[in-house]
Amino acid sequence: MFSSLGNLQPRQLAAQVLNFALVLSTAFMLWKGLSVFTNSSSPIVVVLSGSMEPAFQRGDLLFLWNRGQETQVGEIVVYNVRGKDIPIVHRVIRRFGGGSAPLQLLTKGDNNAADDTELYARGQSYLDRSKDVIGSVVGYVPFVGYVTILLSEYPWLKTAMLVFMALTVVLQRE
Amino acid sequence: MHNTLTRVQNVFGFFTSVAFAVAAAIAISVVLSSQTPSASLQLRNVQVVKGRPHYYSTKREEYAHITFSLDADLSTLFNWNTKQVFAYITASYPSDSPASIPESEAVVWDAVIPAKNAPEHHNTYIHPTKSTARPKTKKERLSLNKAYPPGKEPGILKLDKQKPKYQITDVSGKIAERNNATLTLHWNVQPWVGALVWDNRRTVGRWQGLKGGEAAFEFPPLKATEAKKEDLKTATGKEKNRGSPA
Repeated sequence: MFSSLGNLQPRQLAAQVLNFALVLSTAFMLWKGLSVFTNSSSPIVVVLSGSMEPAFQRGDLLFLWNRGQETQVGEIVVYNVRGKDIPIVHRVIRRFGGGSAPLQLLTKGDNNAADDTELYARGQSYLDRSKDVIGSVVGYVPFVGYVTILLSEYPWLKTAMLVFMALTVVLQRE
Repeated sequence: MHNTLTRVQNVFGFFTSVAFAVAAAIAISVVLSSQTPSASLQLRNVQVVKGRPHYYSTKREEYAHITFSLDADLSTLFNWNTKQVFAYITASYPSDSPASIPESEAVVWDAVIPAKNAPEHHNTYIHPTKSTARPKTKKERLSLNKAYPPGKEPGILKLDKQKPKYQITDVSGKIAERNNATLTLHWNVQPWVGALVWDNRRTVGRWQGLKGGEAAFEFPPLKATEAKKEDLKTATGKEKNRGSPA
């Protein structure tokens, strides 16, 4: 497998590297395209905690939708706590305002005893729909996102996967 | 090139396409299942008292305590792709300027009702039972601690004078003497794979809209005298959802 790397012509090698770059940029474009379509900065998220069990487990993949800002009670939203960049997936249990006033939401994890008031930034008792919320959950695929949890928990896996992907693309010949 | 690597790649590629196709077929086919949910919801009692959001708070707010009776049959919501139904009852009331701002809404009670084939989880609803007698046979024991009354199936709820799970308040801290309030039953069907679905009041294809499951009421004036603690208890249910927020 590795001996064949030396046999490659420079032109062929360049073509393979370009091919790899094409794969990466296509994936990136798809992601950004989906982002524009759903109007969400992160249209697909992976569940990181068990706070919505048994509906969502760690590693489940969620599809978000962020068009139409009239979030209703009972919807499951993904929000970022101000000042922290951790997406949290919880259900809306109260809503106030909307229309001409800013929409304020209170959320709670199905598996938690208390609502999220303690999780929010200091002095904040409600989420601002337009500022804090990334999107509303509309679709669900179980378990598929577990790879990303493994990748973030074992960083060496990231390097290993990248090297493996690069090698397979470069070494593959049509 | 028929080396091991390409074979493994081909097998994995074929597996993912088949898995994707099957998942898509399952997710879309739920529109073929017929749904005929029905419910009747009654308000039993509503009180408004002063309280604090938590023990160390100095803020005094008005809290509403709502008891209700519910007789619902949501069993047809459980099709081949249903993992659980999250049933919840909300209280909604007009905002201060009803012309430009929609109603405010808050959850009063909720329950996670798992499908029969869902794995066991500590955070699923346990339906109250009438009899206090200890179960004699194994069958009787097994029929207790379910999300539905003994002998029934998932989605059946028969609650009488049910205490709320949450006391509710308004963003302004005042909730007494508001008129035109409504108590409404909602649900969220959580699939094994595919789209999440919420309650429909209008009929969509084979899914009949829910009739009933609504009750109009008014928030009473603030209680002048101290209310009895026993009357203001909330029922968190026997489910052990005691996880820390995260």
